[in-house]
Amino acid sequence: MAYKGKAKLRNTLLATGVVLAGMQAVWSSCFVYPRWSKDYSPVQTGRDLIAGSLSADQMLFALAGFRELIAGILWVRADSFFESGNYDAILPIIRLVTFLDPHQIDVYATGIWHIGYNFTDEEQRSDRRYLPAALALGAEGAHQNPTTYELYYETGWLWYHKIDDNYEKAVYWMAQADSKKDIMSSPARRNLLGRIYERNGEVEKALDHWYTLYDIAAAEYDKDTEHRNFELHQNKDTIEQNLDTMLVRMSQRGFFAAKEHRSLEGYDINPPFDVGFGMKVSVPSERVLRIQGNWNVLPVGTRIRCILRDKNFPNAIPGGALWDADLDVNFNPQRDKTYMMDQLFVRNQRFDKTIDMSRDPTMYPFISDDYVLEFYYNPRSAPQHIQDKFGWNGEGMTDSTAEDIRTDIRANTRCMFYSVELKKDQILLRNQYRTQQPVIKSKGFRETEEDYNQSKDRAQIPSLRGN
Amino acid sequence: MFKPIIAIAKATVGEAIRRRVLLIILFVAVILLFVAPLLGVLSARQEKTVLTGFVLGIVQLSSAVIAITLTVYMLPNEVERRTIYTILSKPVQRYQFLVGKYLGAVAALALMMGLMACVTLLEFGIIQHDWPKGVELLQGISMFFVQMSLLASVAMCLSTFVAPLVNFFLSGGIYLIGTLGYAFFDSFNKNPNAPVYSKALAWFVSTILPNFASYNVQNKLINPEVQIQNPLQYSINAVVYGGFYIAIMLIAGMLIFDRKEV
Amino acid sequence: MAAAIETKKLTKSYKSKAHGMVDVVSDLDLHVEEGEIFGFLGPNGAGKTTTIKMLLSIIEQTSGEGYVLGHELGDVEVHKVISYVPERPYYYEYMTGMEILKFYGSLFGITDTARMDMLLEKVNLHRDKTKTISQFSKGMQQRIGLAQALLNDPKLLFLDEPTGGLDPIAHREIRDLILGFREEGRTVFISSHELSEVELICDRVAIINHGVIARQGKLTELLKGGRVELSVTGVDKGILSGMSIGDGNIHDTPGGILFDVPEEADINSIIDGVRANKGSVLSVVPRKKRLEDLFVETVTAK
Repeated sequence: MAYKGKAKLRNTLLATGVVLAGMQAVWSSCFVYPRWSKDYSPVQTGRDLIAGSLSADQMLFALAGFRELIAGILWVRADSFFESGNYDAILPIIRLVTFLDPHQIDVYATGIWHIGYNFTDEEQRSDRRYLPAALALGAEGAHQNPTTYELYYETGWLWYHKIDDNYEKAVYWMAQADSKKDIMSSPARRNLLGRIYERNGEVEKALDHWYTLYDIAAAEYDKDTEHRNFELHQNKDTIEQNLDTMLVRMSQRGFFAAKEHRSLEGYDINPPFDVGFGMKVSVPSERVLRIQGNWNVLPVGTRIRCILRDKNFPNAIPGGALWDADLDVNFNPQRDKTYMMDQLFVRNQRFDKTIDMSRDPTMYPFISDDYVLEFYYNPRSAPQHIQDKFGWNGEGMTDSTAEDIRTDIRANTRCMFYSVELKKDQILLRNQYRTQQPVIKSKGFRETEEDYNQSKDRAQIPSLRGN
Repeated sequence: MFKPIIAIAKATVGEAIRRRVLLIILFVAVILLFVAPLLGVLSARQEKTVLTGFVLGIVQLSSAVIAITLTVYMLPNEVERRTIYTILSKPVQRYQFLVGKYLGAVAALALMMGLMACVTLLEFGIIQHDWPKGVELLQGISMFFVQMSLLASVAMCLSTFVAPLVNFFLSGGIYLIGTLGYAFFDSFNKNPNAPVYSKALAWFVSTILPNFASYNVQNKLINPEVQIQNPLQYSINAVVYGGFYIAIMLIAGMLIFDRKEV
Repeated sequence: MAAAIETKKLTKSYKSKAHGMVDVVSDLDLHVEEGEIFGFLGPNGAGKTTTIKMLLSIIEQTSGEGYVLGHELGDVEVHKVISYVPERPYYYEYMTGMEILKFYGSLFGITDTARMDMLLEKVNLHRDKTKTISQFSKGMQQRIGLAQALLNDPKLLFLDEPTGGLDPIAHREIRDLILGFREEGRTVFISSHELSEVELICDRVAIINHGVIARQGKLTELLKGGRVELSVTGVDKGILSGMSIGDGNIHDTPGGILFDVPEEADINSIIDGVRANKGSVLSVVPRKKRLEDLFVETVTAK
């Protein structure tokens, strides 16, 4: 075969090559790439590839398959930042480590906690602008590690404890955590779901949950025929006690009566208790609010939530925000927005708190012109002894001025909510407020130094032990 | 037709396993495999996870370097040393020569990766007392082997018209894009906000370039809790894909090499 | 006798950035008879190796045509009956001589180890069977090259600079082997610029320069045209000038007069002429034409 014959072979080869090239493209697009993308790709849906702040050699190593190792080294480095309090430096490391090794549960858990709790102002008020990032990180971690309860639990905890308002979400996450096999090894953690059902007003579900846990604990206890394991005993007892208390509370708060459509006369939550809310806000100096007011509830453990935020703060709702509206792990919160949240502690039916925001201009930039100051009390967040009077859903709560008890801001709940609008000029004491200090009062505010113990409105808070 | 191919492949293997550079890389890799357990302390996670990731990483990285080093010099050396003339003046077609060289490279690669696989198996079996894990890792390493065969075919094809040093970086670059770049393309695909043109571009490029990332199945091995449906079917699909691509690379190599003035 | 190699207007051109298309080999008409040792001569870069590669179908010609043992160029079939030993060949260093033969044998499908032993003996390497190529001297490498070239019992051998870089003894060994090939009836095509070697063994030569064949023919014919030098004294130059000396020259030297005449000139009449004029002849030295002269003459002709 001379050169002429070769030309023919070349053409055949070329044609074969072209056909194969087409076939590989089809095969790759149909049978390889989609499954790879689903099961093996390091990239998750809706997330960009973040590859900053790795040095070239770290990057190369990471690409070469040493992801877990690099992640480990980075995480060890993060430790020193924790020690030195350089919290901002930790954020990119968390992002990188979770990107490199999305199965480092500890890093996700620490990250959620760190972002949720560690960023605070001088007075230990935490920076809520980071909450969406913490929640998004939790959601991502749970999505990456769906077989373990841990990150569902951590995310649920954030909703339950840190946000402490939207218990529906807490139930959503904690119920998933509770469905994972590995949670069985730590029964104490399962108890939390019962509490959260309660907080969410799902009393019967809480009861079912306690019964389930009790059956498991009792079975475990019986299995240990010689009863040498004290822990099993204790666990069973604790659950039994929780169950009993729950039943007593349901009974006293008239749950069963209401269910049977009997009169609620004489139950703890009836007649409704007048909380007598009133407030006065003044601005003693630039970026400092003094908030005074009255609130009839007993002295221990009562906190009114107080929020000062941009009027157009993204996803804000009365008394809070839809923190998980954008599930995007963005460690750079909206630094031009202001969101301050604090608790007003009540003593002798009155509260008086000075909130100084002048020392944290990065957390409280006060850039926009309009602000909202909100007062919010959700009986579901209240401690048990107060709930015994107010009920799970605020049935036992009212206010003589009636303007601040709201049923429209949280589903199936009577909450106290009151808000006033403030202008930037008022907070910063600018223009006409330079000389004239702004003072705003609500209708129910009482200028008095009256002694709480002498008050005829003194709350009679029932107790399980009786008066 | 096959006899000369086999003879050339055999000679290639004999030569490859005596090349000092390759032996040094292999030696370093084996040493690293042995010290790998010491690196477990570097992580907050359980040591075996890090060990698995590290061991697979060493095998993959060193195999890639070996695969490229092995192939980029193969044809140019034959021309420079004029052995190619003695071979091509025998009743051997150029395509037979190229295929023989490629098969020899793959066989040498198999030997070297086989050695690393043995070390890995023994390390997990004897030192970590986890034979099943060791055996499982062999599956990952066999996928790497397909990956490296694909890489060798790319380097081989390029070596028919590119100088060895350039080829070294070119193949290395293609390998990086084919492994990491896929994650990049994937991030466009999964990001609903990515513009259409960038998605289209990502699709186009990723369809043309060899998809090395398909063989990075270490995820499952490092994190056993990850659920993957029917991994066997996936492996078969990926291997078939590799077959297509290797064939294309070899045909392209033949066409260029056939016209090459040596 | 049939032609072992026949080319017509065989041309190989390359594209060059500076000069456009450059002919490395241009309109080559080669003719090599079967059974002869053919010398293919030319200075470095004249196109020798390119021509051999074309004849071996390792590269394709740009134009023209050629036949090797009756096969058209590009036909790999002919490789079964030809062989090639490149200039300063290199073989896989880790192999022993025997392994080299086995490797090349397997390219033909030859597995006859007895024959390989015989070939090793023939090239005098049978005592170094266990040595690897890396332990071979240059001469040994050249010899193993010849041995592998004989594996397929070729009718035609191409040898590119077969004695390049070898010492005189190695030269001689190789030369003897090549002469042996002719006796075995093989055609040998030697490309070389070691003219003294070629002169000793070749039947016919072609001289190529700048890609063009400048001379081609039987060595005996090409080397015609030697000269004779006569040195005489005691005669007057003027008298001698009347003598018929063809295109010869007459020079005055301190020792007398020097005649430089073609070998076919009538030497006797010159001697008689000198003697007739009472002069004496000091010496008569025939200067035979050597291949080197022919080569230099050809290469510097332009």
